[in-house]
Amino acid sequence: MNDTVTYKSLILGDDFLDPPPSFEVTNEVVDKYIRATNDATQELGEPNSRGQRIAPPMLAAVYVIDALRTKVGPPGGVHAKQQFKFHRPACVGETLYTSAKIVKLYQKKERNYVEMTTETLNQDDDLVTTGLITRIWGKE
Amino acid sequence: MTISEELQSYKNLSVGDRLPEIKVLVDQNMVDAYADASGDTNPLHIDPEFAKTTFFGRTIAHGLLTLAFVSQVLSEWNWQGWAYGGELSVAFLGPVYPGDEVSVSGEIDLIEQREEGVFARCNLACYCGERAVVKGTATCKVG
Repeated sequence: MNDTVTYKSLILGDDFLDPPPSFEVTNEVVDKYIRATNDATQELGEPNSRGQRIAPPMLAAVYVIDALRTKVGPPGGVHAKQQFKFHRPACVGETLYTSAKIVKLYQKKERNYVEMTTETLNQDDDLVTTGLITRIWGKE
Repeated sequence: MTISEELQSYKNLSVGDRLPEIKVLVDQNMVDAYADASGDTNPLHIDPEFAKTTFFGRTIAHGLLTLAFVSQVLSEWNWQGWAYGGELSVAFLGPVYPGDEVSVSGEIDLIEQREEGVFARCNLACYCGERAVVKGTATCKVG
């Protein structure tokens, strides 16, 4: 478990995680995610053109959160806004690497906000997902 | 220079068309299962005693769980355009509590011819009863 990071210690331009953590997309992970979200999307039962099992597009967001856990604020933080671009779905067998960078820090209504860009690549540097997250930092 | 042209319709799609709507009852078991699947074990989501000490007063669902429902609507509507190049921009307006039924709806508000193809932008909204919890837009290639 990492120690929590205070808002005051965050610096604009910091790489949130260096090196970016890796995450392997397995059948077990995809099954768990589909069960937890009740996702009945028909295309998820069909392999892609390379014969690979594809994951729900939002699964890549899970890896973003997993990556952000390497530098977490005090408990109680929540997401305020989220932007994603899904370049393509992740596939079983891929290893994903998500990097994040702090691009904005500000306070509003006595809450501390952190904006981070994220980029998720696979083991061959193929782009899977990019995003911009606005998070309300937990109060210390 | 980017060249684009707004269209009122494209093939079988028109501005104002509604996306398929879904309703999902979220309970603590679902939140716990999502925490297990995602690894996001923030106590705000899964520890009722901790959650009592927060602004919310009780556990809340992960924001990304609600977005998973949004993604299901978009996948059903336009899988190819959504999964391969879709863009999502949302604001979380309020929490989803265990016991809430989340309804996800969407409507095409713009169809645009760009150099790289035809794109549709959809207004999205997630409600728990009368309470809006997520609003935003998604943009997908449709042709």
